Amino acid sequence: MNLLVFTKRVPATQEEELRIVDEGRAVDLSKMPFKLNDWDNYAVEEAVRIAEKTGGAVTAISLGDSEADEVLRRAIAMGAKDGFLIEADRVLHDPSARAELIRTFLTREAVAYDAIFTGVQSEDDQFAAVGGILAAKLGLPYASMVIAIDSLEGGQVTCRRELEGGGQERIRVALPCVLSLQSGINEPRYVSIMGVRKASKVERRRFRAADYGDLGEGMIEVSEWAYPPKKGGATMLSGELEASCKELLAILKEKGVYQ
Amino acid sequence: MSYALIVAEVRRGVFEERTLDALGLASLLGKDTVLLIPEGLSPVDERLAATIVRAKVEETVFLNPLAMVQILKKVFDSRGKPEVILFTSSSSGIELASYTAGYFDLPLITDVSAFDGERGLFSKSYYSDKIFGQFRPRQGSFAVTVRSGSFKELARPLAGPAATEVIEGFAPVEGRSFVEYVEEERGAIDITKADFLLSVGRGIGSKEEISGYEELAELLKAVLSGSRPVIDKMWLPKPRQVGTSGKTVKPKVYLAMAISGAFQHIAGMKESECIIAVNKDPEAPIFQYAHFGIIADANKLRDKMKDIVKA
Amino acid sequence: MALQSQNRLLTCIQCGKCTGSCPEAGRTPFNIRMLVRRRQFEYAIEESLPWYCTSCGACTLRCPRDVKPSEVIIDVRSALVEEGQIPVSIQKALENTAVQKNPWGRSRAKRGAWLDLTDLAIPHVSETASRRLLFTCCIQAYDPRCMVIPANVARILHRGGIEFGILGEEEVCCGNEVRRIGESGLFEELQEENRAAFEEYGVKEIITLSPHCMNALKKEYGDLGIGVRHYTEVVADLIGAGRLTLGGDYEKAVIYHDPCFLGKQNNVFEAPRTILGAVKGLRLLEFSRSREVSLCCEGGGGRMFYETEGSSQRNSELRVLEAIEKGAEVIATACPFCVMTLEDPATERGQVVKELSEILIEVL
Repeated sequence: MNLLVFTKRVPATQEEELRIVDEGRAVDLSKMPFKLNDWDNYAVEEAVRIAEKTGGAVTAISLGDSEADEVLRRAIAMGAKDGFLIEADRVLHDPSARAELIRTFLTREAVAYDAIFTGVQSEDDQFAAVGGILAAKLGLPYASMVIAIDSLEGGQVTCRRELEGGGQERIRVALPCVLSLQSGINEPRYVSIMGVRKASKVERRRFRAADYGDLGEGMIEVSEWAYPPKKGGATMLSGELEASCKELLAILKEKGVYQ
Repeated sequence: MSYALIVAEVRRGVFEERTLDALGLASLLGKDTVLLIPEGLSPVDERLAATIVRAKVEETVFLNPLAMVQILKKVFDSRGKPEVILFTSSSSGIELASYTAGYFDLPLITDVSAFDGERGLFSKSYYSDKIFGQFRPRQGSFAVTVRSGSFKELARPLAGPAATEVIEGFAPVEGRSFVEYVEEERGAIDITKADFLLSVGRGIGSKEEISGYEELAELLKAVLSGSRPVIDKMWLPKPRQVGTSGKTVKPKVYLAMAISGAFQHIAGMKESECIIAVNKDPEAPIFQYAHFGIIADANKLRDKMKDIVKA
Repeated sequence: MALQSQNRLLTCIQCGKCTGSCPEAGRTPFNIRMLVRRRQFEYAIEESLPWYCTSCGACTLRCPRDVKPSEVIIDVRSALVEEGQIPVSIQKALENTAVQKNPWGRSRAKRGAWLDLTDLAIPHVSETASRRLLFTCCIQAYDPRCMVIPANVARILHRGGIEFGILGEEEVCCGNEVRRIGESGLFEELQEENRAAFEEYGVKEIITLSPHCMNALKKEYGDLGIGVRHYTEVVADLIGAGRLTLGGDYEKAVIYHDPCFLGKQNNVFEAPRTILGAVKGLRLLEFSRSREVSLCCEGGGGRMFYETEGSSQRNSELRVLEAIEKGAEVIATACPFCVMTLEDPATERGQVVKELSEILIEVL
């Protein structure tokens, strides 16, 4: 099976304090360390395992700036055969714009594949949409939140989707298809620094995003960026034990973990 | 006639409460509401929307993105394109919304958690809620997914019962099909896959207290986990350890009972969506990382919770 | 390099002195003598075994033939690292270090957060005349329990009239544990970054807070041309020269635990004892296994990020029990790894663990 996996280079913001600059028009990412999007790490691992089992190959694709080459090297170090960098000099926030650009690219460059994998979402914008939009535009079947791929045979994928509360549903999807994989679908291998260095020797082809789409506006626009409403530390539930317990249950219900 | 189309989330015959958030945002947008539901859902509260459209398809077909776009096409044919289509932000919602947006070429804003009516801006989380992008769609019809808990209170029942419609005549969908529901395997414990972890610390006192927590976890459908001292003392087995030298977890809810919050433990769970800490020490470091806190004796709270849930 | 280690392997006579001194021997499936044997014949080694090693170095010190079993472990681990088949928690620690330059993935920008714990104005090393660098260490920069240590040492050095500066967020993990985990590529990167900073700012002397950092900077960073000492060596000198007087009383029975990287691997046994000896009222006790044969706390070698399956008593617990038996009120040590590993069993038994600077600060 030949697989395409989308990989995104994202800022590692978990431990950082982010600042909004330029009068609300931008978020300052200049001092952020960057890395491969966690979900994409799982997707690459899954694709590589499938390729190893079925005797196919994995191509990693990234839509981003020139530094995004880093994540392609990492994917190659994990076992991808090669990488395509669709280089854009600016960030496209609109997932529809990104999906459309990718669709044009895949079609025009006649990229062959049996399946396209993405991660469920990216750590930075969390849109969780490019996979589904792309699938619809390509006229391919789609599933997201895929937590396990059970079998690939007879031109079909049998897989399981993660549902709220821990349950799963098993579905069958025809190939070719687009699947968005959930974190935890596997345990990704470690990629050593030396491994990434070796991967630099494998060719990564570069393309210009502007050749495949409009990098200008999209169908949605960001008017400004804002900080979340101030939250000073933990919200303490006070009162008698019984009242606190009831409040606790209400929180659990709202989070969707307890019915 | 511009209207807001809300796609109900219905699973296993249950009308998911998250749909109320979609209904709430729809009413905030001031549109006439049309609620789209599948077969097999009854009774449905007839005052949830101005119109209820029942698609004559099984629930599992309704949840299939490939079928959903066919259903929506029929809805658009009969009453025109809505100004906004609202989905829940959920396992099914994200597939349906993105596929729909791609199919009909609609602008899509996901995980909407707030709306500024004056400026027509939708708040969308970035960087795990550290920053919120204020988005607006550029053209007429658009789609959104709505964050659970954000607009629920705004979904007030309407005065009179809804007008109802049925749409039918759908060809079977090819390309994706539902096979079955799969329950959680009771085999090897993998706490990293749990949505809801109930975690205990050294403060519970003794091994004898564990069974009470096992019961509570069962009642709440949570998975039991623990901090390193608990595993060291063998009150819980190693696969249930959360921390730097155990597992790193990111559940929806992490309920930490009698855990003080040592650095090595925090490192293993700080990315949990919602951290609730219960500890009798108000100075316990865990309260600095928790979203909610209760200062109480964990064992007593456990017992009270069991009583309330069982009642 | 590979040929050297292969040659060394062949000199092993299977005497068993390594296993005899190994803190993991007998209590766990880990047997270093057998592992070296299997390596000689290029037999497969069960995947979980190499991760038991705590890098205490006892085997290498005792080997009569220069086999360097600690390095054999690192070779085995390196192969696993390159294959990508290493325990998840160790993966995380390495990935965090690659991105944020510390194993917990805490923000690099917050590496100097401990400065908030002191009112001393501590300059960047480039702003000092002496170009003397205080190398903080990841644990002391980020772990709330240990952040007080650099603040203490800063005050103690200041009192002793020692000028120094820090690198702040330009400091990256020394890589001592990273090398022992077998990630040589990452170790090289960390080393390069630190060395570049030392060169750029003309660092002439380094004082480390952690014996692990001292070990890496002194012995594994090549020829830096910079003197590297652990802070206890500096403070012992100050006390000896009369430049630091300890006025206060500390009427307690204190038992000293020799950290492996300070003691047996770098021969710093006297300095901490000189310091404790200079504290008025302090009654210094010794463990039955002290100095060269000090019992490893099992915090090193990646063990901070990986727990082995084991039902037997941890060494840290044995140490605490002995401390209690000998009538100690405080267990003192000079390494943050030892502090962290000893503290849990200690707290459960009502024992107190103090890093040396925490005692010093009370009697300054």
